[in-house]
Amino acid sequence: MMSKNKIVLAEDNSTLSLLLKFRLEKEGYELLMAVDGKEAVDLIESQSPDLVITDIMMPFISGLEVISHVRNKLALEIPIIVFSSAGQEEMVLKAFSLGANDFMGKPFSPNELVIRVKRLLG
Amino acid sequence: MIDYQYFIDHFEEFPFLVQLVWRISVVLFLTIILLTIYLKVIRYHLRKKENEYKTFKKEYEALLVEYLYADKENEQISNEQQSIILKIKTHIPIKYKRKMVISVLYNLMNEVSGEMADSIKTLYYQTGLIDYALTRLKNKNWFVIAKGIGELRRFKVEEAHDEVAKFIKHPKNEVRKETQLYLVNLFRFEGLSFLNELKTPLSEWAQLQLLEVLQKFDDQQICDIKPWLKSKNDTVVLFALKLAQIYNQFEVKDILIELLSHKEKEIRICVIEVLTNLYGIEAKEMLKTNFNQLSIEEQLSFFKLLENLVDPSDETFIEQHLFHKNFEIQLLALKILKTINIDKFLSLNKLRSNKEVPEMYKFANNS
Repeated sequence: MMSKNKIVLAEDNSTLSLLLKFRLEKEGYELLMAVDGKEAVDLIESQSPDLVITDIMMPFISGLEVISHVRNKLALEIPIIVFSSAGQEEMVLKAFSLGANDFMGKPFSPNELVIRVKRLLG
Repeated sequence: MIDYQYFIDHFEEFPFLVQLVWRISVVLFLTIILLTIYLKVIRYHLRKKENEYKTFKKEYEALLVEYLYADKENEQISNEQQSIILKIKTHIPIKYKRKMVISVLYNLMNEVSGEMADSIKTLYYQTGLIDYALTRLKNKNWFVIAKGIGELRRFKVEEAHDEVAKFIKHPKNEVRKETQLYLVNLFRFEGLSFLNELKTPLSEWAQLQLLEVLQKFDDQQICDIKPWLKSKNDTVVLFALKLAQIYNQFEVKDILIELLSHKEKEIRICVIEVLTNLYGIEAKEMLKTNFNQLSIEEQLSFFKLLENLVDPSDETFIEQHLFHKNFEIQLLALKILKTINIDKFLSLNKLRSNKEVPEMYKFANNS
């Protein structure tokens, strides 16, 4: 039996997290949920996920710091998708320069996210 | 009993002041005990309420997700969705639960787009939350009305236009501001029609909020701003000038020129900025010709804009104002001269007639 791809989802909006968890689990992925950047870093270190989805603005550790940790400290090449809100264009550029692979501006369609996840996990 | 009597007798032998201090200490001690108990009770209730809130939020979030994915292609609202609506409806009459439902719906509506956002809006209608927001508009307290309008704006309830538009002349600024935001958020440039009759001032903050909303829209087809440029309300004129500049309203040139003689200095300064931004060289020549008729602030404003529009043909004009009575204009003239004719600028070092020039020259040279 093929093992499920693990995805760490770092998002502080609990309703959105639940919505995406429901949608991505339906597509056959295993979701590991983090409510802030600190939890996300812990999950990435302990669970070795295949993909990380992170919001930029989060309590304790921001999405940018999560990307930096994954790329520089853990030296992992796993794909990272970033969520950003309107007015965070500068942050998105920083996220790409730190090593993010894709970004989605809020509001976004969960179906589109599934397409991007599928593409990155090819 | 004897012991107590002994203490009472002993206490009564104390001087009055000592007795008073003891009495106050006992009262304070009892008050502290009572307040501690009261605090404990309040904390217990708050924690209980918080736990209830968290439990309900979890339960409600699960219901909401279930509702959003229970969409059936052929049906507008599926049976599954209908039963979820009924379940949520039972909680709505309780105020804190209603508040929570609204906040969860709104937070999610901001994060997702397309059909899902439409489904959230449908849920807002179907659960009857819209009726509570509309009821708020009939409240006698202005802050309840403002909150109601804000909610209708956030959930994009266009149907409430007539009910909300009534508040555009409300005596409370907060209510007027919410009404303006509602109209512009939902009806874009058409929503700005309230400016036609606006008598109250439109604050700088309100103007910025409206501009921010307008810039979010894909359709940037602006309506006719001429009536607002001619408004008797100065803040409306200032707002229209901002619109003219942002949306490149070249067709309002004649009105802008008329506004150069407006009674309000702030408007005249703003007009100079808009004219120079829209018409560049053409406006520059016009303002150069009328330069002496302008006030010091207007002249300064023109010089600031001239910094970006200057070309070698302006040299004579700049030279004429190197010894202007206003210090800032002198400095700007020097700086501009440096950019268009460095040799002439360097030759100014030899000037000693005006004591300020060498210092100012050094500053302009280093900047």
